[in-house]
Amino acid sequence: MTAMTKVKGLATAASFAATLLVGGVTYASAEEVTLTMAVPDWPPTRIMKKFFDEQYKPKSGNTVKLDVDFIPWPDFYTRVNASLTSGEKKYNFIVSDSQWLGAFVEGGYFRKINDLIDADPELKATMESMHPAVLNAYSTYPNSTPNYYGFPQFPDVLVTYGRKDVLCNDDEQAAFKAKYNEKLPCTGEEIDAMDWNTFEHVGEFFQRKKGDKLAGQVLDDDFYGIAYQAGKGYDFSTSSVHTFVWEHGGGIWDETKAPTGHAEGVVNSPKSIEGMEHFLKLLKYMPPVVKTGTMDIFVSDQLFREGKVAMNIDWIGLGEASLDPKTSKVADKLVFGLAPGLRGPDGKVNRTSQIGGQPFVLTTWTTPEQIKEAVGFVKWWLSPDIQHQFAAGGGQSAIKSVYSDPKYVTYRPWDRAWANSLDWQKDMWHVPQFFELLTQQQDQYDLAITGKQDAKTTLDNIAKFQEDLLKNAGLIQ
Amino acid sequence: MTAVSSTLLTPRLTAVVAHNWKLAIAVAVVVSAISMAGLPAAVSFWVVGAAAALVAAAFTVNAYRRHYFGALLVAPAIAVLFVMNIFPLLWSLGLSFFAYQANQQTIRFVGLGNYVRILTNDLAAHATWGALINTAMFVVFTVSAQMIVGFLLAILFAKQFPLRKYLLILVLTPMMLSVVASGVFFTYYYDPTFGILSYVINSISGNQFILMSNKVGAVAGIVFADAWMWSPFVMLLVLAGLVSVPKYLYEAAAIDRISSWRQFWMITFPYIRGLLMLALLFRTIEAFKLADLVILLTKGGNDTLTISYHLIRIANEQNKTSEGAAISYLMLFMVIVLTNLYLYLANRRTQGA
Repeated sequence: MTAMTKVKGLATAASFAATLLVGGVTYASAEEVTLTMAVPDWPPTRIMKKFFDEQYKPKSGNTVKLDVDFIPWPDFYTRVNASLTSGEKKYNFIVSDSQWLGAFVEGGYFRKINDLIDADPELKATMESMHPAVLNAYSTYPNSTPNYYGFPQFPDVLVTYGRKDVLCNDDEQAAFKAKYNEKLPCTGEEIDAMDWNTFEHVGEFFQRKKGDKLAGQVLDDDFYGIAYQAGKGYDFSTSSVHTFVWEHGGGIWDETKAPTGHAEGVVNSPKSIEGMEHFLKLLKYMPPVVKTGTMDIFVSDQLFREGKVAMNIDWIGLGEASLDPKTSKVADKLVFGLAPGLRGPDGKVNRTSQIGGQPFVLTTWTTPEQIKEAVGFVKWWLSPDIQHQFAAGGGQSAIKSVYSDPKYVTYRPWDRAWANSLDWQKDMWHVPQFFELLTQQQDQYDLAITGKQDAKTTLDNIAKFQEDLLKNAGLIQ
Repeated sequence: MTAVSSTLLTPRLTAVVAHNWKLAIAVAVVVSAISMAGLPAAVSFWVVGAAAALVAAAFTVNAYRRHYFGALLVAPAIAVLFVMNIFPLLWSLGLSFFAYQANQQTIRFVGLGNYVRILTNDLAAHATWGALINTAMFVVFTVSAQMIVGFLLAILFAKQFPLRKYLLILVLTPMMLSVVASGVFFTYYYDPTFGILSYVINSISGNQFILMSNKVGAVAGIVFADAWMWSPFVMLLVLAGLVSVPKYLYEAAAIDRISSWRQFWMITFPYIRGLLMLALLFRTIEAFKLADLVILLTKGGNDTLTISYHLIRIANEQNKTSEGAAISYLMLFMVIVLTNLYLYLANRRTQGA
C-alpha cells in the first residue's frame, strides 16, 4: 500500500517534470518557423514589419512567422542586454545597434555569419555590393576585418533638416548677407556647402524673442536658430561630440593600436579639446532645453517639427514624422542637406561623422531551420526591388546599385544627401567595454553641456577613466 | 492533534513509504549528483528540479499523515519566499565576492574586492558616495515634503465640507497613476519651451526660466513630482487615524475648555502617532530606492544620480554584475539599519508614553 503510494508519488513527480520539459521547448516544425526579433521602435523597423506582412513569401515554402518586439529607443540597449545576458535565449534575430557588436560577440551571443555568406553566392554578391563604410560599421568585428556578424537592416547618417520658409525669405536673406557677408543657405545645395561657421551664424542670427519678427511675421513664442543633439541618455551627445573631435583632428582612442593603445594623450589631446570646445560654443544658440542636458535626438526633432528652430541636425531615421502634416507644423517647408563640415585653412570642407544605422544579427542559439529562413528573409530584404520600396517608404539603402539609381533621390527630400554622406562616416568603439565607455563619457559630456566644467576637464576625466578601464580589462599595461 | 501525530512511527531510513523524507533526500542527492555529472546541463536542470519536487512531496505526505496542518498551510508561502526571495538574495551575496560580468563567460574569486572597490577606489567610490549623498538628500526632502503635505491634507479632509468626496478622489488620483505617466507629464510641465511653468514665469519676469538647468532646480523638480505622487498615501494613513478618534473625547475637552492646540497634542496626536510612524517608515524605504523619476526627468544629470539608478547602470547597463551585487548589499544593509532604528525609536516612544 505504502509502496504503491510511493510509486504514485514518483509518477506524479515525473509527469510534472515532463510537463515542465515539454513546456520549456518550442518545436519548430518543418511547416512553420517563427523568428523572434527584438527591434527598436521607429519608422524603419515598422516599415520592415509592414513589408513582411504584406509581401514576403518564403522561397522554401515554409510558413515563416515574424514575432517582433518593438522596443522604444531609450530602453532598447537595456532590454536587449538583459535578455541576452540572462540566458533566456528569447530572440534569434536582433536589429542591433552597430556599436554593440563587440560586447555581444565576445559574450558568445551573436553568431558569426562568414559560413552563411560563403555558402551562398547570391548573398555574397549582395554583401559585396554594400558601401564599405556601412559594411565595416554594421558587420565586422574586430572592426574592418573580414569577420562578419551582421547584415545591414537600416543604414543611417546625420543630415541637416532646414525650414525653407525661414531660410529662403528675402528679408532674412538680405539681413543675413548684411550681417555676415555671406549667403544664408536656402537650397539643398547651399546647405551641402555649409560649414560649422555658417551653421553657427544661422544659430546666432535666428535667435528671436517672442514679439520679434521672423520672415515677416510676429512671433508668438521664442525662436531659435539651430539644434543638434546634446542629451545625457544613451549616445545622444557622443554622436555630435565625436563628429567635432574627428573633424578637428582629435581622436576618441588610438586608432593605430586600438583597442590596446593608451587613452591619455589621445582622448584629451589638444585637438580633441579644440573639437569639444567648438561643439560647446554652438550650444548657446540652441533652444533652452539644451541647458538641462536632456535635448536628445527626439527632443530636437520635436522642436523642429513644432517650428521652434530654423535648422536641426538629426538622423534620417526620424525624418518621416517631419514630413507628415499630422505630426509636423513644417511638413510643407522642408529642405535637407549634408551635415556641416569644418572648413580648413585651404578652404576645403573636412567632413567626418558618427555613423548611425543598425544591422540584423543572428544569435548563436538559432536553429538551422531558423537560420535558413532568416537568411532567406535577409536576401529578400536586401534585394534591389525591396530596397527601392524601402527607400520610397522612408528607409535607406547602402547597396550601390540602388542608391546610385537616378530614381533614388526622388523618393524622399533627404535622399539627395544620402549617397554623398556615406564616404565620410565612421563608427565609435566596437569593444566589449563599449557601454562603460559610453555611459561615463555621456556623464562627463553632460557636465560640460550644462556648463559645470570646461572641455579640458571633461576630456581629462574621460581619459583617466578609460585608462583605468583598459588597464582593468588587461588591454594595456 | 499532537496525540494523533504520535501514533505515526518514524520509518527506518530504507523503508519505502511516502512519508520517508530522509530516504527521499538521500535519493534526491544521489540522483542529482549523478545527473549533474553525466547529463547535459539542460537535462540535469530538470532532473534536479524533479528531485527537489520528490523531497517536497515526501515532506508534504509526512506532514499530512502527522496532521501538521499549520505547517502545511504556510508551506507554499515559505516555498515561494525561498525560491523568489531568499535564494536569489543568497546567490547575489555569493556573486558579490567574485569578479563576474554577465556578458562575459568568465568568473574569478576576488573576496572582498568588489566592496573595497566601491568604497575606496577613487573612480568607483566617488560615484558610490556621490550617489549615496544624493539619495540621503532625496530621502530627507521627499519624505518631509510628503509628511507635511499629506498631514495637512488629512487634517483638511477629516472635516466635512461640500464636494469632499469628489475632491478626495481627485487628490488620490496621482497615487494611482503609473510613475512613467507622471514622469512624462512632469517632463513637459518643466520643459522650457513647451512647459507651462516656464511660460508663466517667463511672462512675469521676462527672462528665460529653465527649472532643470541646475542642481537646486532639478532636485526641486524631482521632489515636487515625488511629493505630488505620494503625499496622498501619507494622507490616507493619517486620515485613517483621525477618523478613529472617538468624538466624546473632543466633547469632554470642549466642556473642559481645553485649547485646540492642547486638544491636538493630548487627544489627536496619540491616535495618529503610530500611523505617522508607519507612513514615515514606508516612505523612507521607498525614497531610498528612488530611481524611476530621476531616470525620466534628469537621467541623473545635474548631480541627481541616486544609488538605485547608479546600481541599475552598473549592474544592468554596464554588465558589472558582481560589482552591482556588492552595491545592492550596501543598500540592503543601510535600509535594514534605518528600518531597525525607526522601529527602535517607535517602540521606545510607545513604552515611554
